[in-house]
Amino acid sequence: MTGTTGSVLSASGLRKEYGEGVALVRAVDDVSLEVAQGESVAIVGPSGCGKSTLLYLLGGLERPTAGTLELAHRRLEQMPEAGLARLRRRALGFVFQAFHLVDELTALENVELPALLAGASPRTARERATDLLEQVGLEDRAEHLPSALSGGQRQRVAIARALANGPAVVLADEPTGNLDSAATTEVLRLFEQLHADGQTLVVVTHDERIASTADRLITMRDGRFVDETKLTGGTQRTVAEIAGLDG
Amino acid sequence: MGRLLLTWRLAIRDIKRRRVQSALLLLMIVTTTTTLTIGLALHKVTDSPFARTRAATRGPDIVAEIIPPPGGAHDATRGFAPLVHATGVAAAGGPYPLAFASLTARGIDVRAEAEGRDVAPATIDQPALTAGRWVRPGAAVIERGFADALGLHVGDVIRLNGRPFGVGGIAVSTAQCFYPVSTPGVIWLTRRDADALATATQPLGYVLSLRLADPNSASAFENGNAAYAFGNDTTNEAKTFMTSWQDTENSDFKVVSVDQKVLLIVSTLLALLAIASITVVVGSRMAEQTRRVGLLKAVGATPALVAVVLLAENLLLAVAATAVGVTIGRLVAPVLTNLGNGLLGTPPAPALTGQSVLEVAVVAVAVAVGATAVPAIRGARTSTIRALDDPAHPPRRRPSLIALSTRLPVPMLIAVRLVARRIRRSLLTAASMTIAVTMVVAALTLEHNDQVRRQVSVIGTTTVAGRVTHLVFLLSAILIVLAALNAIFTTWATVIDSQRPTALARALGATPGQVTAGLTASQLLPGLLAACLGIPLGLALYQLAGGHVSEASPPVPWLVAVIPGTLIAIAVLTAIPARIGARRSVAEVLRSE
Repeated sequence: MTGTTGSVLSASGLRKEYGEGVALVRAVDDVSLEVAQGESVAIVGPSGCGKSTLLYLLGGLERPTAGTLELAHRRLEQMPEAGLARLRRRALGFVFQAFHLVDELTALENVELPALLAGASPRTARERATDLLEQVGLEDRAEHLPSALSGGQRQRVAIARALANGPAVVLADEPTGNLDSAATTEVLRLFEQLHADGQTLVVVTHDERIASTADRLITMRDGRFVDETKLTGGTQRTVAEIAGLDG
Repeated sequence: MGRLLLTWRLAIRDIKRRRVQSALLLLMIVTTTTTLTIGLALHKVTDSPFARTRAATRGPDIVAEIIPPPGGAHDATRGFAPLVHATGVAAAGGPYPLAFASLTARGIDVRAEAEGRDVAPATIDQPALTAGRWVRPGAAVIERGFADALGLHVGDVIRLNGRPFGVGGIAVSTAQCFYPVSTPGVIWLTRRDADALATATQPLGYVLSLRLADPNSASAFENGNAAYAFGNDTTNEAKTFMTSWQDTENSDFKVVSVDQKVLLIVSTLLALLAIASITVVVGSRMAEQTRRVGLLKAVGATPALVAVVLLAENLLLAVAATAVGVTIGRLVAPVLTNLGNGLLGTPPAPALTGQSVLEVAVVAVAVAVGATAVPAIRGARTSTIRALDDPAHPPRRRPSLIALSTRLPVPMLIAVRLVARRIRRSLLTAASMTIAVTMVVAALTLEHNDQVRRQVSVIGTTTVAGRVTHLVFLLSAILIVLAALNAIFTTWATVIDSQRPTALARALGATPGQVTAGLTASQLLPGLLAACLGIPLGLALYQLAGGHVSEASPPVPWLVAVIPGTLIAIAVLTAIPARIGARRSVAEVLRSE
């Protein structure tokens, strides 16, 4: 099955197994998914249900045991590693729970890294990174090392980095998992802004607040999708409402 | 008792758990101890073989030779008269006839001096047999250094000026330097057989052995009136030569000392390389060791007990390394010292005294203590929680290198940033590679020395210069192997240390090929520095070891080729660990954080 017209990311019959025999674990089991351009999808479920594995499969960081995957109209499952890397660099942005910023690089240098890896000139990469840091409200922290930033600021740097090459899809793995409430609100606000700007988002989360900002909420259990809900309030409610800060 | 058992158990288990790292550390310490053992053994080899051989052969104090001109038929022995009757001469042996012959054996043609001897033993200068029997008609006795060079044994057949002779014995003597210090090589025949080798164009020469009343006055005798009269006898236009036993001893010693000089320089380089390698190995273990210290402290171990556990582990490796190093050194040293084959008492397995073993053990233990001290102190100072949580030494930020890297292609961007993260490790890598390149350039220079090449071409590697070349090449090979292992290990340490940033780079769009190239290039950068430094240092080393670069400098293209050669070698060595590192699952690495 290939993606339907208008879907930027699609998966069909996706399966990921680890181990063999009695030790066989099916982390993702027969999952099919279509993500439309500009759509925001939240995947929720208990720990160990396979959410992160699914995200890594969608991002081409892991190979599926079975099933098909299509990103930006390119089939991923048979694509060689180098091809996957090239596709990732222009079509995908990752946001990780643990931020994964490079410790010895400043915020600005972290944000410009994907553009440099994509072959952009140092000046273009720097200009783009400066814009993005401004977009996430960290222009005054551009020269700070990650160790000098708060958790929320680090995650905002990571989000800016994910946007460095103008990706078709941003994949976020528990983006608020390591953050306190105030920092979570900062990040929620950013995701809302991204969604409003038409950025396609797939977010794996435990956080109901971030899940409720999505257009669609998928519940996962034991590697399978067990529920799928279209959220009417997804883009209508403000972050302040979701975070309980209004009234 | 319980604490001892615990220490033992923890040490052994950790060694088993970190097999590769432990083996590498062991290898590095073994290299150091082996080198040290060889150095000590060679130092002792010069002690007494000459004196022992001189005593056993009733060695002469003065040896005089008369070599008549080609075609000369005059009885040359009359020229010895001033010496035989000189003051201070206690006894004389000979004169013995000396034939200059072409010796053919095992497909090799060389010049040889065949000395005609009586079947009965002489009272002065009676060569001591190390195999076979003394001269008899049709059977030759070969000087041991010469026999070794030609690969001759008792029972073999040689040809002298085309006439076949059996090899009846092998012997040593101090009447002349051993082969290859003295050329041509010496063989002993019966007087009659030696006489028969004389030709019209190459008449017999004669050799006379003298014993002086005071052997220590031999050098003075050499410059005395009798020697003057002997040297200036022009009645038969013959050439005359006179050698004191001190001259012979000095010449023999010079050969050993040349080897010692080469070995001293190379062992210093080996020791430096081993230290650089040990630092890299120990440094890469440091994070784990610090974590282990935290773990042990968390379960109630005192800092002292923790230090004892770490020390026990490293001491076990050091003791094993001492045993292996001393054994290998004992086996290798005779190979390096076999130039003393012309003397009695060499080459035995070099004397290995308790003091030598102790000296080697002290160095090995010092290495073990050094490897223990830093993590133990750091672990003791660090809080238990911190030691458990954040064991790795944080990478350094080098803004200038990071800025520079943005202007480079992706593999070089990755490489420069990896170098910048661990600049000390890169400098150590550069240092170890520089040592290897230095040695290669010195060996190339030696190989290019025309004089050496001429001598080597006589008979394999048995000439003095040939032996030094052989030694240099052997030691260069050891150095290169060690440097290669070091390069592989450093790459692997870099792969482990940088697995998160490289996984991240791949998640952000770097291809595995770019990451592999980046990891490899991170070793090529210190390699380039090493190649550039190694060329002048290699030439300087050659000069330092007594060579003359002006006479032996290899062609410039050879030297220039060292740079790409070094880079290709490093690329080949590091490609596999780099490729393995770049192929690790990105998801696995990032998930483990």
